[in-house]
Amino acid sequence: MGGVSFPLLSDFHPKGKVAESFGLYLADAGITDRATVLIDAGGTIRHISSVGPGGKRDMNELLAMAKKLDAEYEGETKDVAKPEGLPAGSVLFVKSNCIFSRWAQAARANLHLDDLALKNVSEDADAKAELENLGGSHQAPALLVDGEVHYESGAIVQALGERCGIA
Amino acid sequence: MLKEGTTAPDFELGDQFQRKISLSKYRDAQHVLLVFYPLDFTPT
Repeated sequence: MGGVSFPLLSDFHPKGKVAESFGLYLADAGITDRATVLIDAGGTIRHISSVGPGGKRDMNELLAMAKKLDAEYEGETKDVAKPEGLPAGSVLFVKSNCIFSRWAQAARANLHLDDLALKNVSEDADAKAELENLGGSHQAPALLVDGEVHYESGAIVQALGERCGIA
Repeated sequence: MLKEGTTAPDFELGDQFQRKISLSKYRDAQHVLLVFYPLDFTPT
């Protein structure tokens, strides 16, 4: 899904509590129903349905409903997904054809960090030299934030998550 | 299941970055699509 990102929430402890509050927990099977709920910005449920645990959602139908809500909604809306972001001068260094670099870039996209500068050390010799100069190694992915360089994708994803804070 | 037109119950859950995400955070800001996704990664 190009350009679409979303938080992945765990309804695990206590198990299925949120699903239950929507009447979507299948207690006998110990799982949630494969349900979809569209809630408008005012907090009202506009659509709620289930295709059953093994069913298939109709994406076109859902997209049409979302567009209809966008067009018809008269209340106030604003962007809250975009975090304050990272300090100016932060850079994410990546390299081409690298799964770890792709993970770091996925975290950047999922956290809506569009303002975080992205430099590819495989294509940009200056960026490679800059990274080596700053962190002592040109190993990518690497995250420069507050003058500190984080190497390893796990550490980068964690640092990005922490920077985007507790909502 | 709850009926269309009723107010969605608020909740707060952790996401993949250990952030706490609540429905009320999106109130008067954005529409929300909740996609419940059972069965993957389970033995069922």
